[in-house]
Amino acid sequence: MRSLPLITSLAWRNLWRNKRRTMVILFAMVLGVWAMIVTAAFMRGMAIQMLDDTVNNLTGHIQIHHKNYLDDPVIENSFFGNDTALLNTLKLPDIIHWSSRIRVPAVISSERETRGVVLLAIEPEAEANISFLKNAITEGQYFSSNDENGIIIGKKLAQNLETRLGKRVVVMSQNTKNEIADSGYRISGIYDTSGEGMETDFIFITKRAAEQLLDSTGLSSEIAVITRSLDTVLSVQKNLAAKNPELDIQDWSSLQPYTKLVVEMYSDFQYVWHLIVFLAMSFGIINTLLMTIYERTREFGLFQALGLKPGFILVQVWTEALFMLTIALFIGNFVSWLTVMTTGDGIDVSAFSQGMELAQMSNIIPFVILFEDLLLANIIVIALGLLTSLYPAWKASQLVPADAITRI
Amino acid sequence: MQNTDNQTVVICTDLSKTYQQGLIQVHALSNINFEVNKGEFICLSGPSGSGKSTLLNMIGGLDTPSSGKVYIDGEEIDKLNKSELADMRLHKIGFVFQAYNLIPVLTAQENIEMVMQMQGVSKNERHHKSLNILQEVGLGGLENRKPTELSGGQQQRIAVARAIVSRPSLVLADEPTANLDSLTASKLIDLMLQMNELHNTTFIISTHDPMIMQRSKKLVKLHDGKIIDNIIQKNNV
Amino acid sequence: MNTTLNFAWRNIWRHPRRTILTMLAIAFGAALLVFSIGLQLGQYDLMIKGSISIYQGLLQVQKKGYLDEPKIRNDIKDIQNLARTIRDKTGIKSITARANGFALVSSEQRSYGTLITGVEPEYEKLVSSIPGTIKEGRYLLSDDSHEVIIGKSLANNLRIKTGDELTLMGSGRDGSIAATILPVSGIYDSGSKELDRNLIQIPIKTFQEVFSMGNAGHALIFYHDEIKKEHFFRQQLQQLIADNNQLLTLSWDQLQPGIKQAIELDYSSGWFMYLVLVAIITLSILNTFLMSVLERSREFGIMLALGYKPFNIAKLVMLEALILTFFALTLGTLAGLAINVYFAVYGLTFEGMEEIAQMYNMSATLHPQITFESILIGPLVIFIFTILSALYPAMKIRHLQPVEAMRKI
Repeated sequence: MRSLPLITSLAWRNLWRNKRRTMVILFAMVLGVWAMIVTAAFMRGMAIQMLDDTVNNLTGHIQIHHKNYLDDPVIENSFFGNDTALLNTLKLPDIIHWSSRIRVPAVISSERETRGVVLLAIEPEAEANISFLKNAITEGQYFSSNDENGIIIGKKLAQNLETRLGKRVVVMSQNTKNEIADSGYRISGIYDTSGEGMETDFIFITKRAAEQLLDSTGLSSEIAVITRSLDTVLSVQKNLAAKNPELDIQDWSSLQPYTKLVVEMYSDFQYVWHLIVFLAMSFGIINTLLMTIYERTREFGLFQALGLKPGFILVQVWTEALFMLTIALFIGNFVSWLTVMTTGDGIDVSAFSQGMELAQMSNIIPFVILFEDLLLANIIVIALGLLTSLYPAWKASQLVPADAITRI
Repeated sequence: MQNTDNQTVVICTDLSKTYQQGLIQVHALSNINFEVNKGEFICLSGPSGSGKSTLLNMIGGLDTPSSGKVYIDGEEIDKLNKSELADMRLHKIGFVFQAYNLIPVLTAQENIEMVMQMQGVSKNERHHKSLNILQEVGLGGLENRKPTELSGGQQQRIAVARAIVSRPSLVLADEPTANLDSLTASKLIDLMLQMNELHNTTFIISTHDPMIMQRSKKLVKLHDGKIIDNIIQKNNV
Repeated sequence: MNTTLNFAWRNIWRHPRRTILTMLAIAFGAALLVFSIGLQLGQYDLMIKGSISIYQGLLQVQKKGYLDEPKIRNDIKDIQNLARTIRDKTGIKSITARANGFALVSSEQRSYGTLITGVEPEYEKLVSSIPGTIKEGRYLLSDDSHEVIIGKSLANNLRIKTGDELTLMGSGRDGSIAATILPVSGIYDSGSKELDRNLIQIPIKTFQEVFSMGNAGHALIFYHDEIKKEHFFRQQLQQLIADNNQLLTLSWDQLQPGIKQAIELDYSSGWFMYLVLVAIITLSILNTFLMSVLERSREFGIMLALGYKPFNIAKLVMLEALILTFFALTLGTLAGLAINVYFAVYGLTFEGMEEIAQMYNMSATLHPQITFESILIGPLVIFIFTILSALYPAMKIRHLQPVEAMRKI
């Protein structure tokens, strides 16, 4: 197209003819693009954080249970966790960690108070790779070996029980013989998580200690598995399920449907939000373009008199819109990047910590810009932007030359 | 462009134009019959509202007649669609208006080159031709000025330069001197006459400036949309 | 004035397309804000109502320190008497006493640790929705009957049904072992898995007996569905317990700060979005107002030459902006209101709503709130922004010089 250089130079210069007006509309568009990207990044951050927390807070990517365990979580519904055939099926390249646990309801008592909890018996080394516990210990120590006989409890639970590190507590639970067994443990570690729910709900002993308490030698309630990445979870889950048909093998999304739902909702909300922001911008885009066209009516008449076709005028106005959109996107993306960079770890919402906990989220929300989200925002702006500016562009091309020229 | 003598460039037959202005019908032109030959320098005169601009717009294909026909270089322009009309203007007709002739965001030279660029003239040739014509119209050295940095007279000269640079069959000028002082106006007419002589370009100029009427080779007087006089003047400079 | 109004009105319609687009932008913003603020407030209402009506009540009277450390010894003496006194003095029946403890609950086959609450059945029904959600059997009969009701999830885990016996074992107030065997008279399904799994109820006198509590309990629960009157009720309660400086009145947001914070977080992130939208719209409008002034430079020059003062012209321009904004806001507010009325009648729900609603003990169908606040706050914000954006070009007029202005195109 031989008119292209002319069109681009005309469009570019016209864009800056009324600098103030262009700056105002550019500012509006940059604000819109920024809001789109930053909001998406915030929601993505929330979703990813929530997913991470879910995975870290004992869920893992995949869990293996006895078929009846999830309905009736007692020691009776456990399986042989060190069965060679089962362990062989876990030797997949996509599985990077796994940990075998006993997980049963229990009652913990100090000298003064009693609480209902979930007792987790863990293999310290394996567990350290997959859950939050080791890094959350604030007093005392994590288990150094499977032979230790201490207990690790949450900070809030220690408060509620009016007990502290080094004191003894008694744990009661049902053993494999269906009897209430109890045993005393010295508190060897106290952990602190951002939400108090975890702290009051879970207590930890070693798997060997549990074998004595529950008479559960060789048994596991669950095996939590971490895969190489989120993308491989489904295939690993299917693989394991096929090889171990007698066990119940589920991934995080069916174990924690709420997490899955929220992650999906955030994704969907992006589209709605982008569209709303764009709609708000579109009025300004159309109006500004219509104004520039109105002012240049004579000029468009002249173009026609000089033998330039309506199509030329349409493309010229459209190119102007394209430049405007491109500049807004360029700055908008840059400012968003800057925002994300300068906020570092993310936004601190600890003022709402209990609300966040209720929504199963943590206190610091990182901004996460995914390429696909960035692409979505940019495509929406450029595609819908060009679509909306088609109207003023078409309007400009439809001016009747004789009228246009004589108009003052 | 071949330069055959007495070739007819424009033929108007029974040309009429009626506008609806509110409740009133305005007969801008009625039954105009009019011919222009190659190399002529014609002046359309008459008071405002007599139909000069309308006639020029019809000939330039900017407006469509209510009845009657316009032929440019033997081609009936009624039969052309919008795009063909645009092509015709691009290749055969140059326009000079009363004001706002130039694209404000382009420099003098770019304004002149614009039409050639659309015609597909190579960059070098465009460059060469535009500088030449700027010399010819006496504006050498001002090629990089924007229209706002030029005087009214200079702007009109550039408009004339743009109109003739690609050797059109016909240049239509609608009151080109209306916004100029008499000295500048006289110089512009000199320029147009000079170009007429030099390139044998056909000019049709609408005006109510007696000075231009006097100096044109042929004077066509319009009144209330009718041609009332058609005078051939030999006594010009 | 009348002629100015007339003049302004005509000026607005000089560029109908531009005016309509500008009005649409404002109306779009107003409609969106009215709709979503109404929806948000409606949702918060549901969340609060859900959270207070199921169990926790609007207000509670507790011993100081019990909220942070819910220990069995942080108790209120003669609690039923206190409840009775307050009921008599306020004339409000929906006040009940509770005692809370902890026990290992065992059926023949299973054992779980749960919270156990001693309740006054007659008044508990007026305060909490749990008694109304009994799915099997019946609710507790009297203050001293020997029976227990239990949540559905826990009943499933314990593998029991109504009529079966449960063994409760915990420690009493004095540190002695508290143990008893009670028949299950009812199974409730409150809709909150959390409660269904973790809470069983027995009559308050039975509780006091088993846990060696004497006549003490831990909390007075006050319920009223007019959340807005919370402050009033709170003062009333506080006065009635004033003679015991060990006691404290707590409101729902102190009892369940999570709900309050979840609402505040949602509201502030909502406002972040609204303000961005309003800013975008304002900037678009600014361009319209700016152009309508710049374009008319020449005209204003003539008006100045005719003896108008710049202030008069600025007033005209502001009036135009006001009229335009007023009509657009009215249009947008009505549109938003219409959508809200529709959903208030028919309810709004979406995929996944049910699961999320359950987290907050609320119903899965949203009904937007239609109050003065929900309707007017959004348009008011837009109005302020719009007028500010009209002020800028109007201010420019003050510096207008007639000759210069007329020379401009």
